[in-house]
Amino acid sequence: MLAKPLRPMALQARRLYVELMFQVMGRALQGISEVDQVARDEARELPEGFLFEMMVRPRGPSLVVEHTGEGRFHYHGDNPPRPVDLSIQFKHIAHAFLVVSFQEKTSVAFAHDRMLVDGDIGYALRMTRILNRLEAFILPKLVASRAVKEYPANLKLPQKVLSAARIYLKVATQFFDTARAS
Amino acid sequence: MSQRYYEFFCPVKVIAGKAALEHIPYELSGLGAGRPLLITDKGVRAAGLLEPVLEACEEGGQEIVTIYDDVPPDSSTHVVKDIAGIYRSEQCDSIIAVGGGSAIDTAKAVNILVSEGGDDLSAYAGAGVLTNPLKPFFVVPTTAGTGSEVTSVAVIADTEKSVKLPFTSSFLLPDAAIIDPRMTLTLPPHITAATGMDALTHATEAFTCMAKNPLSDAYATAAVKKISNNLLKVMDNPKNADSRLELAEASTMAGIAFSNSMVGLVHALGHATGAICHLPHGLCMSLYLPYVLEYNLETIREPLGELLLYMAGPDVYATTPANRRAEECISAIRKLRDALYQHCKLPRTLQETGNVEQDQLDRIARVALDDGSIMFNPREVTLDDALAVLKRAWG
Repeated sequence: MLAKPLRPMALQARRLYVELMFQVMGRALQGISEVDQVARDEARELPEGFLFEMMVRPRGPSLVVEHTGEGRFHYHGDNPPRPVDLSIQFKHIAHAFLVVSFQEKTSVAFAHDRMLVDGDIGYALRMTRILNRLEAFILPKLVASRAVKEYPANLKLPQKVLSAARIYLKVATQFFDTARAS
Repeated sequence: MSQRYYEFFCPVKVIAGKAALEHIPYELSGLGAGRPLLITDKGVRAAGLLEPVLEACEEGGQEIVTIYDDVPPDSSTHVVKDIAGIYRSEQCDSIIAVGGGSAIDTAKAVNILVSEGGDDLSAYAGAGVLTNPLKPFFVVPTTAGTGSEVTSVAVIADTEKSVKLPFTSSFLLPDAAIIDPRMTLTLPPHITAATGMDALTHATEAFTCMAKNPLSDAYATAAVKKISNNLLKVMDNPKNADSRLELAEASTMAGIAFSNSMVGLVHALGHATGAICHLPHGLCMSLYLPYVLEYNLETIREPLGELLLYMAGPDVYATTPANRRAEECISAIRKLRDALYQHCKLPRTLQETGNVEQDQLDRIARVALDDGSIMFNPREVTLDDALAVLKRAWG
């Protein structure tokens, strides 16, 4: 009898978790573009001013990052300053939750038709590779292996720990700055 | 709880076999259509493949209002716009595409314009833009390979902007695919071989890549069996109508399989090679298939081993140890390629094509990494991986 009243709370918690993870991912994307040369090389191929959005349909949580040039990203929160160039859209909050709680790999989510790509598919693949690299850096290997198709064999522990620490520091700083500004 | 999930969709009515073309008038009338525009290319007309279609329609009291027979190999927005103009001026109410991939893609794009209105095809580019059913649309394939008659995509070049416009919508699917053995009976040996390998690749990748599912598996395995049993028979005896029909059916079945479970690295490399070196798609598929299967081997060992049953038959399957079946399946594909090389010199390596330079491999690998198919490859492909496969395929 207790399960029924708890259900809306569980759904609310799921939504909040997805929102929080989107905020972390958005800030971490900016972070990795500042600390990792490989991610920067991938991002460099995107047009300057390119706006990338990941969102949950129809009006769920979203994150927006802009390529500001030289492979660097700027996180815009959930408000794009203009129409986005590429949007990766989860069909439902439940599907986004599967991915950001590492129950389903991003590539598997694509294969399962959980997500839509609105924009250039080549750029979508590039952004997915950057997201994969980010996850390989910031998640413990065991968790990252559940999130990415293949954990990069050449990613050694010292590089992973150092890069993760720098990315987390940037994420924390941004959260702190946002909190102070509001 | 199981993590398994899949989607499967194919509403295309498949009309296959002897005198299939003669069903066109009845099927058109069933959709309330009576003024079809026929879209084809000069090659199809020159090969005399329009006659049986026109005869079947005429005899069945179905007038073909007008014929557009100038679809180029790489169709463009201009061509689509011109054909849409003809459709409107002739007050047509349906479309019949007769041909291979280009004629079919062009007809799909024409159907968008004549159904949605306007002349700006680019406004409908992308996935899920179309939200309404289109005009009645039939496809009569003249090759046994592309599977375009059962796919919901079309690619048309925008020559002004120098980009290829992709269109994806279930509304692009034809109402009916008419598979008649007469339409592939005169297909030249090298095209028969390349398109047969194209269909085999569709089925193999559908069965081994990430979006495989029980329904697409059924189509894929049946397609592999038909191709392995009939491709060499047709190469030996091109007028074998029964085997021709088996190949045409296999192509459609492989098309249904891959349009529901997608493809992988063979297609990513093939698309890149086609774009850079202008090699035919079917040939590219044949070139890369065994090398990509070897690269993916440890992640696809189980399904690939299972595929041996359909590729080589029950005797070979039963006498091959379970842990060697995947390798044996690749070996069977290599043997098929060798036999096709003996028949019609279908190249087995990039070097044998004579159209690829070694210094193009790096560019091919880079372009392949941005191809949508790579997302569904079971292994994460890096630039070095793609280059390694290309070097092996070089020969």
